[in-house]
Amino acid sequence: MTQFFQQFPVVFQALNVGFLQTLKLFGATLLGALPLGLLISFGSMSKFKPLSIVTRLIVWVVRGTPLMIQLLIIFFFPGLVWGKPIWGGGESGRFLAATVAFILNYACYFSEIYRGGIQSIPVGQHEAAQVLGLSKSQTFFRVVLLQVVKRIVPPMSNEIITLVKDTSLARIIALQEIIWAGQSFMKGSHGIAGQIWPLFFTGVYYLLFSGLLTILFNRLEKKLDYFKV
Amino acid sequence: MNKKLIALVLAAVMVVACFALAACGDKTTDPTDAASSDLAYIKDKGTLVIGITDYAPMDFQKEGSEEWVGFDADLAKKFAESLGVKAEFQLIEWDYKTTELDGKTIDCVWNGMTLTEEVKTAMDCSKAYLHNQQIVIVPADKAADYQTAEACKDLQFAVENGSAGEEVATELGFKITEVENQASALQEVAAGTCDAAIIDSLMAGAMVGEGTSYANLTYTVGLNNEEYGVGFRKGSDVVEVFNAFLDAAIADGTVDAIAETYDVQAALIK
Amino acid sequence: MAILEVENIHKSFGKAEVLKGISFSLEKGNVLSIIGSSGSGKTTLLRCINFLETADVGRITVDGDPIFDSDAPSTLSARERRDKQLKIGLVFQQFNLFPQYNVLDNVTLAPRLRAKERADYKQNKKQIIGEIEAKAKELLHKMGLSDKLDYYPCQLSGGQQQRVSIARAMALEPKILFFDEPTSALDPELTGEILKVIRELAKEHMTMVIVTHEMNFAKEVSDHIVFMDQGVIAEEGRANDLFENPQSERLKAFLNNLKN
Repeated sequence: MTQFFQQFPVVFQALNVGFLQTLKLFGATLLGALPLGLLISFGSMSKFKPLSIVTRLIVWVVRGTPLMIQLLIIFFFPGLVWGKPIWGGGESGRFLAATVAFILNYACYFSEIYRGGIQSIPVGQHEAAQVLGLSKSQTFFRVVLLQVVKRIVPPMSNEIITLVKDTSLARIIALQEIIWAGQSFMKGSHGIAGQIWPLFFTGVYYLLFSGLLTILFNRLEKKLDYFKV
Repeated sequence: MNKKLIALVLAAVMVVACFALAACGDKTTDPTDAASSDLAYIKDKGTLVIGITDYAPMDFQKEGSEEWVGFDADLAKKFAESLGVKAEFQLIEWDYKTTELDGKTIDCVWNGMTLTEEVKTAMDCSKAYLHNQQIVIVPADKAADYQTAEACKDLQFAVENGSAGEEVATELGFKITEVENQASALQEVAAGTCDAAIIDSLMAGAMVGEGTSYANLTYTVGLNNEEYGVGFRKGSDVVEVFNAFLDAAIADGTVDAIAETYDVQAALIK
Repeated sequence: MAILEVENIHKSFGKAEVLKGISFSLEKGNVLSIIGSSGSGKTTLLRCINFLETADVGRITVDGDPIFDSDAPSTLSARERRDKQLKIGLVFQQFNLFPQYNVLDNVTLAPRLRAKERADYKQNKKQIIGEIEAKAKELLHKMGLSDKLDYYPCQLSGGQQQRVSIARAMALEPKILFFDEPTSALDPELTGEILKVIRELAKEHMTMVIVTHEMNFAKEVSDHIVFMDQGVIAEEGRANDLFENPQSERLKAFLNNLKN
């Protein structure tokens, strides 16, 4: 027990550092993937066939292959094939590569949710906006968007909570997020080895954070409860 | 009309990007050509990125410190200094060490790496600088029963996947369970899920026995002899520079001093 | 001079020719009803005039201003075309209110967005918005909805929603108001309140075109009736004449069917 109390501050500190990295990756992914997903969904819904076909092909490939492979390819491909590591050195380079891979991957998932949401809005809403003289962009932002948001909150909250846990995949390119930090105390780090409890303890961080997100999404859902679509 | 044009341009860009990516995939790089100026490349960027794992006593962080120390880490800092560049330690996934090296995301693997045939094929390696052994780890209270390789043959061994320990165990016909790393192997023994483990003697010295993380384990029989070296990119000109540095560092006592700090002087190759 | 002139409208979907040359005109302040069985093309005609479909051939003139002409491809910008379209308003069968806006905002949304395009918007913003809201409230008062301004569509009955949508269409001050079967989506006991509103608008000499199944109502409120069958106007005339003394066999059959 005394050993545990000696180790706890060291482990706690290392897990906090790891969790910060997890949060950074999570935040950067959302920041990039939420708008990029919208662009991709427009591409896949485009009436211009070549664009929609190419976009859907990309979405198919990205959603149809494991994120882990995408991480490895995006990180190692430039150095291995072009002989030029483009991601820059150190932890920040790995973070950048991981962020790009996560944004691309999650934007494709988000785009399909957006597409479903947008296409589920009754055509009457578009027609009403049209006969009232609203432009295409006014129709989208003033009439359609909030209805889409209401419809996609449940699937998006699922996807976003999955993202919290998926960030741990970035350890494959040695991004030192919280699982890496927890596991290092099994392998031996900072004078502590053979301890599995730090790894279990990382679960507490995930639980608390996803709990927080669940509360936020419930609030958002409540907030949009005043109208029906 | 305008929108269609934009859409057309976008589509064209995407298609071109796809082909460019695919075309680049066909291009085979000549490793010797790319590495012919490896020393210049490292000096040019001003950093020597050293691929490591957290592995006492070679590369590790002391409690409460973020600085990498250890026999390998300290010597690596001296080597970087001799090149006039900054030493940058980069934790890697051990499975991807060759990929990291070839992809230039690190410049060398310097982490108590056993010079196996596999390693020597994948990288250009320095000359050996430390002796190592694969040794058997058992619970301390059962140590008396397992002092020879013959006595150990009915045990279930935990070994690191793809390690020198696994190679030796397979040669001797032992029953093995593959685990992710050497520390996990120790954990299997400590938890009783395996009877014994095979790990590096240098690591065992730091992690097993009284006053370590695994006070209840001990090591018994050594199964082979092997050597540690530093791995560089295929065809790299840094190998020779390193070998010369190592000779000089041994001659002027630098290596001895570092070895004493980390208690590995008995294993030094001179 | 007629306020609405529709000339020779043709429209096909694939191989099916739905409108085979429709022409009619409407005087300012008059009410025109379009009747006919389902599939006769009356809704398609309405959608062509409101630009929800594009006619293959034909010409539409409102108040002397050609808003559509298949022979003279439009060189207008999207905004100019929208401005022309706003000379006519449309009330949908399914109301199509915007669910996330309350009653008042449903009515003011389009006028507010249009006001932003005005050159003096920034200077007189408060005044302009004030005028728009006052006008919307007046319209809603006329619709008997003064106590529902901050209600959301999901809190209203079908009849109330349809009245909001009429106010919404009128807020843009169209020269002609179109109704696409305005009572078809309502329970029978709610149709009365909509018909009452339309009747009152007729009294105020609002120019209207109504596609409807309510024959008695059409007869009562309309100055002119157009009977469509299989993509053509089979018969048209004054409301009383048409119902009391149908000339064509097709209209006779149609009216007989309704009686039974």
